[in-house]
Amino acid sequence: MIVLMALAIAIYRGARAGVVVTLWVVGLVAMLLLFRYHVTSPLDLSF
Amino acid sequence: MSTTDSTLDPQSPMRELPIEPQPNPVLSRIMFWGAVAFILGYCATLLGAFGVQLGLGEFPCPLCMVQRYAMILATLPAMWIVIEDLRGTLTRGRYVRSLGLSIIASVCGAVESTRQILLHIKPGDPGYGGAVLGMHLYTWALITFVIVILYCGVAMTLNRYAVPLAPTTPALRGVAWGVCWLFIAIIAANVIAIILLEGFALVLPDDPTYYNLLHQLGIGV
Repeated sequence: MIVLMALAIAIYRGARAGVVVTLWVVGLVAMLLLFRYHVTSPLDLSF
Repeated sequence: MSTTDSTLDPQSPMRELPIEPQPNPVLSRIMFWGAVAFILGYCATLLGAFGVQLGLGEFPCPLCMVQRYAMILATLPAMWIVIEDLRGTLTRGRYVRSLGLSIIASVCGAVESTRQILLHIKPGDPGYGGAVLGMHLYTWALITFVIVILYCGVAMTLNRYAVPLAPTTPALRGVAWGVCWLFIAIIAANVIAIILLEGFALVLPDDPTYYNLLHQLGIGV
């Protein structure tokens, strides 16, 4: 969430596109890692 | 000495590209306010989630928080569009790039909310938390992600004819800036909320029932 706050400030202050996109990618990867961490078991479903 | 004109060679990166049509001003203004509505929509969604958290006392689970991250990641590019447009630095390329970022975040968010829906899809499962207008928050989250993907798809399709055009009226520009500031304030509120929920831990417990920081500091439950 800190990364997202930094990203919002970077956008607001008109930071360079490279900085904004890099922060966005870091935020996305962090979110996916967090999702992976919390998904601990396969679903007990069969389609 | 070669006499080949690189501007006529279809394989040359220097070739002359077809002239892009001038954007339609009315459609361009609609697309600007569409981006503002996009931000405002997620402001309302995140404020609603806060309402459930603070008003009804339902603590967000880790998957709920991850979906909030995805909503913010999808909305920040829209805020980038609006702010660049208000500053007069938005180009067609930057516009399409931001829409692409929103689509990527929304697809990830849709995967996360689908996972949570499938966790509670069996008959008899009450789901996590209470229902709002008949559906759980993670189901609403999936609906918002699908709407964003559709919106960005339409905006990308129309980019030859409409690139957001910021208003010149100070009052209307103030409204657009106000929406951006509201969204930044909501992100800041989420930062505070996650610090209160996690405390000195790095991640949320699977089923949080109290603010961990207050518990660790011994100043509340």
